[in-house]
Amino acid sequence: MKFKKKRASVKQDIPTASLPDIVFMLLLFFMVATQLREVDVLVQFSLPEAEFIEKIENKRLVSYVWVGRDERIQINDSIVRQEEIRDIMYRKRVELPNVIVSFRVDKNANMGVVTDIQQELRKADARRINYSSLLKR
Amino acid sequence: MVKIKKRKLGEAQIPTSSMADIAFLLLLFFLVSTNIDVDTGIGLVLPEFVPPEEQEFVPLSKDRMAALLINENGDVLLDGNIIAIPQIKDNLKIRITEKIELPSNKKLVVSVKTDRRTVYNLYLQSLDQVKGAYFEVWEEYAGAKYGKSVRDLTPEELEDVRAKIPIIISIAEPEKV
Repeated sequence: MKFKKKRASVKQDIPTASLPDIVFMLLLFFMVATQLREVDVLVQFSLPEAEFIEKIENKRLVSYVWVGRDERIQINDSIVRQEEIRDIMYRKRVELPNVIVSFRVDKNANMGVVTDIQQELRKADARRINYSSLLKR
Repeated sequence: MVKIKKRKLGEAQIPTSSMADIAFLLLLFFLVSTNIDVDTGIGLVLPEFVPPEEQEFVPLSKDRMAALLINENGDVLLDGNIIAIPQIKDNLKIRITEKIELPSNKKLVVSVKTDRRTVYNLYLQSLDQVKGAYFEVWEEYAGAKYGKSVRDLTPEELEDVRAKIPIIISIAEPEKV
């Protein structure tokens, strides 16, 4: 006896012509969202935790200042001395008038170094700051 | 009559079936190398820098001022009295709330002062409490007046909330030690 396979007589193709378009769309999104140049963080730090934190919507405006647990200060890619902060920040502010300076400070650092940086920022007139912290659970 | 022969063109085709593969490969690369983390934290605007010789002393009435001092021993003092950090929020909330209807030059000013040896974490926890107090008063005010959460307010309504309860946090001038 011969068995006949039941098979629909209509075509069974999934149209893949638009697949590249969809993929390209996704690709474009990730290309735009990617920033390749990540800064090497040279200082060791662990962020403090806080409850009432806000998000910074505009990542483009953010410029980071790291302070490690040994109280070294890093801006951009290098460790800087305290006297250099003002010039660097002033230049940043000229490029980006409403720059937000985000402090990534180790939670056991002393306030002295933070106060000094803040004073320098005030002199450079880069006055919008943010104390980077994680959400407390 | 001479018949001009039309040369028949061979059909030119670029195979596109592998285009999706290539695109997927690129997509994968960007997927892996993207990090979409938003920076979170406590925002502040520093006061304008005024050289010491031009500084003037602006007297503030005592009931307008909430002085928060975090000293190097880890004690937190609110108006001179030692307070536990989690209590700052409730303490300030009362004082912010009673000033909602006052004109803008009579609102509460929270002054935060630290020593040079204060641990950063303590400072941030205290600042967090101050922010929390303001956010909760905002929430209560928005709930009472507009019947919705601060997040759902229209820009005009938010403007009103901000005007009624402005967040004035003053970072005290550091003392030279």
